[in-house]
Amino acid sequence: MLEINDLIFRWPGQTDATLNIPKLEVAAGERVFLHGPSGSGKSTLLGLLSGVNKPESGSIRLLGKDLAQLSDAARDKFRADHIGTIFQNFNLLPYLSPIENVTLGCHFSRSRTERVKASGNTLTQQGEQLLQQLGLDPSIMARSVAQLSIGQQQRVAAARAFIGQPELIIADEPTSALDADNRNAFIELLFKEASQYGATILFVSHDSSLAAMFDKYLSLSDINEVVQCS
Amino acid sequence: MQLITLATKSMFNRKASVLLTLFTIAISVMLLLTIERVRQEAKSSFSNTVSGTDLIVGARSGDIQLLLSSVFRIGHANNSVSWDSYQDIKSQRGVSWAIPISLGDSHKGHAVLGTDSAYFEHFRYGKKQNLAFAAGRAFVNAQEVVLGSEVASKMHYQLGQQIVISHGMGNTSFHHHDDNPMTIVGILAPTGTPVDKTVHVPLAAIEAMHSQPKSASRMIGKPKQSAAHSHSDTDEHDQNHTDEHGHNDSHDHEHANEHKHNDGHDHDHADEHGHNHSHDHDHSDEHDHGHDKPDTVAVTVPAPAHLHGDLIGEPKQITAFLMGLDSPLYTLQTRRNINNYKAEPLLAIMPGVTLRELWRMLGLVEKILLLFSGVVVLISLLGMLTTLLATLNQRRRELAILRSVGARPRHIFTLMSSEAILITAAGCALGIALFYALIALAQGTLQSQFGISLSISLLSHYELMLIGVIMAAGTLMGILPATRAYFYSLSDGMSIKL
Ligand SMILES: Nc1ncnc2c1ncn2[C@@H]1O[C@H](COP(=O)(O)OP(=O)(O)OP(=O)(O)O)[C@@H](O)[C@H]1O
Ligand SMILES: [Mg+2]
Repeated sequence: MLEINDLIFRWPGQTDATLNIPKLEVAAGERVFLHGPSGSGKSTLLGLLSGVNKPESGSIRLLGKDLAQLSDAARDKFRADHIGTIFQNFNLLPYLSPIENVTLGCHFSRSRTERVKASGNTLTQQGEQLLQQLGLDPSIMARSVAQLSIGQQQRVAAARAFIGQPELIIADEPTSALDADNRNAFIELLFKEASQYGATILFVSHDSSLAAMFDKYLSLSDINEVVQCS
Repeated sequence: MQLITLATKSMFNRKASVLLTLFTIAISVMLLLTIERVRQEAKSSFSNTVSGTDLIVGARSGDIQLLLSSVFRIGHANNSVSWDSYQDIKSQRGVSWAIPISLGDSHKGHAVLGTDSAYFEHFRYGKKQNLAFAAGRAFVNAQEVVLGSEVASKMHYQLGQQIVISHGMGNTSFHHHDDNPMTIVGILAPTGTPVDKTVHVPLAAIEAMHSQPKSASRMIGKPKQSAAHSHSDTDEHDQNHTDEHGHNDSHDHEHANEHKHNDGHDHDHADEHGHNHSHDHDHSDEHDHGHDKPDTVAVTVPAPAHLHGDLIGEPKQITAFLMGLDSPLYTLQTRRNINNYKAEPLLAIMPGVTLRELWRMLGLVEKILLLFSGVVVLISLLGMLTTLLATLNQRRRELAILRSVGARPRHIFTLMSSEAILITAAGCALGIALFYALIALAQGTLQSQFGISLSISLLSHYELMLIGVIMAAGTLMGILPATRAYFYSLSDGMSIKL
């Protein structure tokens, strides 16, 4: 599913590399917990996996494709088609309704739209269904995004990540704004949704207490050979 | 969802700043369009005021001064071309026609122009158009008056009505010759030139107002009682009629005693037509004066012969005269001759040339206006640029979210630049609406105060071109924030800061 070899990444204008990962492998359907202290480069790695940034050297094989070899446009398309993303907070566009936020990604990916259509649903129906599965009341869907609680917003963001069944779900500290109960409940929901079609989850957090829930635990400091000098 | 929908929704989310920007652009567009429309209309109505006239001759002042007084009735007009010189020049070889003009009087704020029948025959405006009558006919005696269309409509004057022409300029005149009423016999069709605001009287009437004692002036140029009289015996017949008929104030009853018909109309009929009809004179076939037939050209409607009187009188001086030559080739030579005229200092101008000269002088003002309105548009567009750039930083999160769900940098670019285009387009549309509202409001004032007739017509090619330039400039402005957003989205990726 995911295979990284000799990856080196340096932010432009910086002398030291941020990431130097000789080897990293993730199998399909695995739930991986990636841990690392703040500033260690977790978000940077996710940026590389989603193809927004490009490695300086090395390869990132995702679903059999080497992202490093793809053009910028092809990487953008790849992300749109195969990766769902959830951020720490403020995931949603405030001027769109919850449903519109959920279906937003489908407008940039034909294959995800087609997968929704194949299930016999329209985009909106599929979005509503996902929101319901994630425990959101239909009455919420008519509300403005700004009127939702953080926990509700994160579920809308999760629905957006899952719509059209992308193979990889990347979650960058999606639970850091939630309390402990909500945090666990949210992660359970993610797992439940992912298990429905066997999605791989890459979950990033600096909170190692969550690690127990996952199949696989990775510490960035272990796999990254860059010495943090800060 | 289309990107445009996304852009609109995003803009709606920031409606306060977007609307302010939009209004700024709309107002600047309105300003530019209005100034340009007024300028164009002013220019065309300006250059249309006189045409087909080869030379205008007046006392030696300045070219522009002469043009202003003779054509636009602006400035001080004194009668300072002697009648003899006029007659002399008129009779010279190569002169096809001449129209004497005597200005300086007014009727309720409208310029009074003394002239003769040549005016209706030879005066041209616009694209060499003749003066046309909306109603009635040209004057044929010194007691008749022809109104410009605006004078008639503004003062609610009708054919047959009697009015008093006063001496001197301005609304309140000290010399109201209340006992010298004149009959309105013609109303001209609108021309969009100063002619519309002019009261046309025969030269003889001007003379009567100025030089004659009241008792005599009243009767100057009275129509002859019989068609058999010749035109040349004006002098005596004025006095004669006074004695014989003991005329009272009203012109239309002057024949009542003689003919014993009390129709009360201003249509008097020569003796030879037996007056067996008493109430329907204004519609009698042979003597239809044309006031119920609009759009009739003056010269085609004959006035009954018995009404014809002397139009000229014995003027000593006139203000100026317009001249038409047999061939335009004579113009320069004739002009030189007049400018070197021995008997008195005269000035001849070519109206086309002087009009252009005058417009060039006004042109500076006009260009400054255009420059200002252009700068206002530019400032409004720069305002939009500032707002777009200022909000861009707050929108980096929005862009990162879009990137994370698969938007390509070019989508980001399109989103940002379409916003500028949408704001500019909406601003232009609103500006055009405001422009039409404004000219609909200002139409009346502009027409009455400045004689500029604004038409609520479709946008001209030139105006569309202006809109096009603004749209292009707005689009160009949008490229800057769009490019910055493009590079933000590249460097930020989907890492959401803030
Ligand atoms: N856009 C960028 N341009 C330049 N340097 C960057 C950029 N984003 C991150 N960095 C640098 O890369 C390093 C890793 O940052 P990153 O955001 O990946 O850390 P992180 O592990 O996600 O931290 P946190 O847990 O606080 O989110 C930091 O030193 C940061 O300064
Ligand atoms: Mg991070």
